Amino acid sequence: MHDDDEMDRLLTSALAARVPELSPAFDAAVMLRVRPRRLKGGRRAILVAYAIGAAVATAWLLRGLDPALVAAGLAVGLPTVAGAGAYVRRLVQ
Amino acid sequence: MPYDKDSDERLVARYRETKDEAAFAELVRRYRGPVFRLAVSMLGQAFEADAEDVAQDVLVRVHDALPTFRGDARFGTWVYRIAFNHALNLKARARFRVPHVADAALDAAPSADRGPHEVLHDEQRRRAVQACIDELPEVYQSALRLHYWLGTSIGDIAAMLDVPENTVKSYLHRARRLLSALLAERGFDAR
Repeated sequence: MHDDDEMDRLLTSALAARVPELSPAFDAAVMLRVRPRRLKGGRRAILVAYAIGAAVATAWLLRGLDPALVAAGLAVGLPTVAGAGAYVRRLVQ
Repeated sequence: MPYDKDSDERLVARYRETKDEAAFAELVRRYRGPVFRLAVSMLGQAFEADAEDVAQDVLVRVHDALPTFRGDARFGTWVYRIAFNHALNLKARARFRVPHVADAALDAAPSADRGPHEVLHDEQRRRAVQACIDELPEVYQSALRLHYWLGTSIGDIAAMLDVPENTVKSYLHRARRLLSALLAERGFDAR
């Protein structure tokens, strides 16, 4: 019992430190993360129309170009489009 | 607050049915403190800077898992279980990182009325205590930090760890005994 009391005192002093607190913006940060980020029907349609239009315009602009140039363009463009697509899908879901 | 009188289960049901943000915001308000304290108690003083992120992640996970909450356990018990497991996973990953040392700890000046040897011995023993606590089973670590560092009541610790109050007292007693033995192995005593 005596040892237990000594340990009790030791722990009280050894663990004495400032008690951490949550930042005042905590609730707002949580609510922002759980709020659904969905595009409404009209905006989704605009986005799809833009994507189709951009693909058609790109194909038209690329016709007749040097194949090496087209390949370089695709090498740069496709990863960018894939990244942007993944981001947009997260918004639309 | 429109829902501060409603039970947790009622708020969960309302949020599921109507997606009323105010209902979930009330749950966040009720559980942010205990979840944060539980996370801090699991991570320890070296990683307290991560605890707020853990608490945020836990409440987002709770939100995402609300459709699967069947009400078999109390809502609070369910939340604390998610928090405990999440903090445990993060701790396993954080074990290899360099611990954060709070500015307050670095600024702590030795007391003027004690000699340098005494101050050094106390500091070495304090560090040994912290290191030995890290070697205890997770629930003992959590119970010790909640009780001695964060000043949480036995009843609240019991709710967080989902055990009876007597079990918490038993955890604390056994943790002190184990700690005493670990300190003795390192050449320190409790006095």
